[in-house]
Amino acid sequence: MTAGEPREGGLPGERELRELAAKQAALGEIRGTPAADPVNAPMIRHWLDAMGDENPVYLDEGLAPPAMAQVWTMPGVRRRAGDPSPVDDVLAALDAGGYTGVVATNCRQTYHRYARVGERLTPATRFTSLAGPKRTALGEGYFATWDVTWYAETGEAVAEMMFRVLKFRPPRNQEQPQTVEPYPLRPAVSPDTAFFWEGVRRGELRVQSCGDCGELRHPPGPMCPRCRSGNRSYAVASGEGVVHSYVVHHHPPVPGLRPPFAVALVELPEGVRIVGGVVDCPPGDVTVGMPVRVTFRRMDDELTLPLWKPKERR
Amino acid sequence: MSGGLSGRAAIAGIGATEFSKESGRSELRLAAEAVLAALDDAGLSPADVDGLVTFTQDANQEIAVAREIGAGDLSFFSRVEYGGGAACGTVAHAAMAVATGMARTVVCYRAFNERSGRRFGRPDAGLGGQPTSQGLEMSWHVPYGLATPAAWVAMFARRYLHVHGASSEDFGRVAVAMRRHAATNPAAWFHGRPITLEEHQASRWIAEPLRLLDCCQESDGAVALVVTSAERARDLRRSPALITAAAQGSAAGQMMMTSYYRDDLTGLPEMGVVGRRLWEASGLSPGDVQTAILYDHFTPFVLVQLEELGFCGRGEAPDLVRDGGIELGGRLPVNPHGGQLGEAYIHGMNGIAEAVRQIRGTSANQVGGVANVLVTAGTGVPTSGLVLSAG
Amino acid sequence: MTTAGEPARDEAEVGAELPALSIDLTPTVVISTALATMDFTPVHHDPALARAQGSKDVFLNILTTMGLVERYVTDWAGPGAVIRGIDVRLGVPAYAGDRLTFAGAVAARDAGEITVEVRGRVSLGDHATGTVTLSLPRRGEEGR
Repeated sequence: MTAGEPREGGLPGERELRELAAKQAALGEIRGTPAADPVNAPMIRHWLDAMGDENPVYLDEGLAPPAMAQVWTMPGVRRRAGDPSPVDDVLAALDAGGYTGVVATNCRQTYHRYARVGERLTPATRFTSLAGPKRTALGEGYFATWDVTWYAETGEAVAEMMFRVLKFRPPRNQEQPQTVEPYPLRPAVSPDTAFFWEGVRRGELRVQSCGDCGELRHPPGPMCPRCRSGNRSYAVASGEGVVHSYVVHHHPPVPGLRPPFAVALVELPEGVRIVGGVVDCPPGDVTVGMPVRVTFRRMDDELTLPLWKPKERR
Repeated sequence: MSGGLSGRAAIAGIGATEFSKESGRSELRLAAEAVLAALDDAGLSPADVDGLVTFTQDANQEIAVAREIGAGDLSFFSRVEYGGGAACGTVAHAAMAVATGMARTVVCYRAFNERSGRRFGRPDAGLGGQPTSQGLEMSWHVPYGLATPAAWVAMFARRYLHVHGASSEDFGRVAVAMRRHAATNPAAWFHGRPITLEEHQASRWIAEPLRLLDCCQESDGAVALVVTSAERARDLRRSPALITAAAQGSAAGQMMMTSYYRDDLTGLPEMGVVGRRLWEASGLSPGDVQTAILYDHFTPFVLVQLEELGFCGRGEAPDLVRDGGIELGGRLPVNPHGGQLGEAYIHGMNGIAEAVRQIRGTSANQVGGVANVLVTAGTGVPTSGLVLSAG
Repeated sequence: MTTAGEPARDEAEVGAELPALSIDLTPTVVISTALATMDFTPVHHDPALARAQGSKDVFLNILTTMGLVERYVTDWAGPGAVIRGIDVRLGVPAYAGDRLTFAGAVAARDAGEITVEVRGRVSLGDHATGTVTLSLPRRGEEGR
């Protein structure tokens, strides 16, 4: 944890974004979940049919069209649990910084060989660079680039992809191409809690600390219940945590959310607990004791929430 | 008996409307009907009423109820906070007023169209909207969709299952017992409609690990209780239910439904406060009550209350419940009227009325030889409790 | 110029043009390709949601763009071609109801590897521009 003085409102700046990008790039290549299915003829046939591709070589020789590389490891209708990506945090920080627009700009795939029917591919993602801020036709923005490599069970790289997106700040006076409906479940904020929500906007999970005795406390309040001091500060939590308990909400409908969804009570290594939604994981896969990591998600133009996702397997 | 309040006041009359899903009349009218019925039961008239107590959540002001029943001067009026946790607290306030001479005849009431009007089970996006202390408390939970009473309780329930190795069936046995009791109570909404454990297990998820049949029903209706001095009560129409002990309780780190930041999530420390005070003030122990009315808006907290009040050890409630221990004829019959799961959800006030009937010996599901009844109010919130005794 | 159905273009010269290919982007095309590529993002199959997010209609997903570029080149190069890479710059969205027209030409030849420049246009402008690299092994050679 690092101690910090409460700062006035604001968004993650260039430096913070650059530091985060460097940190994510330093993580190197992070392996994802192996494909749910091995390379197989039915999916190839379906793909060829939809594309109108009549090249007979694939089904005749048991080969996958090379452009299908990414298809084998797509997450499906519900995202599989814990698919690790060093990219998410960068995109979330850009969202938090107001760069809420997104367009894909480049996709470059290199095929070392054709994938064969029967082999199961595993993706691995490496965050490579963040460039910006730059002026673009869409507005000021950052180019985020990452690489995905698909490996066969032998460890051999079958295909690689470089993918780049522009995250841009939609011009204010213009009708935004991606207008977000206001998220209906809004927190009340008081002078005693504003530091927390400012932190969330900057991609920091802040825990109130007593300026005198150092006691950490969440949820925060105006006083230190231990030493009665009104001298408040905060610490920035590591962002790691463990599910202490959780709920899977099914009924009745909750505005702004689609059931079923999971909400966890997360115990932080810093010694406090915090409640938050669990994302990037089917609700049925949440368990008590599950390691999670904070992720900052922009709910609308004004509100960012700290949510929790399964911790990356390394 | 020990304690300053013990035995000085009594519940002398009980009254209620029918329990329904759509009363078809205003909440104020329900309140007036129940208050008049309770006065009639006690053999008193509206002119005798000089005090009124209700819940802070009740929509009917004391003065409005007083006008409708044609009461005269009031010298005491009070409201008790924290949702269903107020129920026994209204009787505690009334007893204090009677014992101190603030008033002579105090009526406690609760009236709502909770099913046909505003339903507590529905999420309210505005819960976290205001920077009041409660709005701020809610703001750590509601934005993530943790927005209904069932979901708030489910967080505790999941931890209970995890720590004690209990199962959804252990919750289910509470529901089965309550519905068994309601089945033979003509006033219960679920009269004649018992359920099996299999039906409980087949009911849909509301907020895992809570199923539909772990959640109490939603009801329209009203209940009123007449509190007066023990001495005077003995001269009235009915045999009195003496208020042997009355307590309110809140514990360190208390929140409304979301006290998730205490070390242990498997207890209800605020109910522990109430229990200790009730046993101490009454001089009784768990073995001295013949039946208990335990607040049952959600099944898991019935188990926790059995442990917190000392009817069994920590983690032992599933065993107590497994062999019919809380059913009629069991070791401790709980909620002979069917509770809020079976009779009606009137924020715990119908349970106090049942306790009075058990003391009088007039319940539809009468337990034999009742001398003392323990009653609790809302769980997961600052709460209250009573010990009522024959006398 | 070549005609469709001819065998591999191992004699194609730099500057040789590929036959144009036009695809009517019916909702069926947009949605069936999105599903075939396992991309269930609602903007590729749910018109109401796509419009709510500021789009004109559902639109082609990127995996399909890559697949159609590949198909465009192999339609011309024939079943003997081995695709080595696709490098695409993404432009305007390809909405349902539009028509996607591919044009291409051989840009380079080097030791059996051919680079084809490809441009896919829709009514709003360039949807995808870039290059496809392929090789054309002689009969009997293992290339894939």
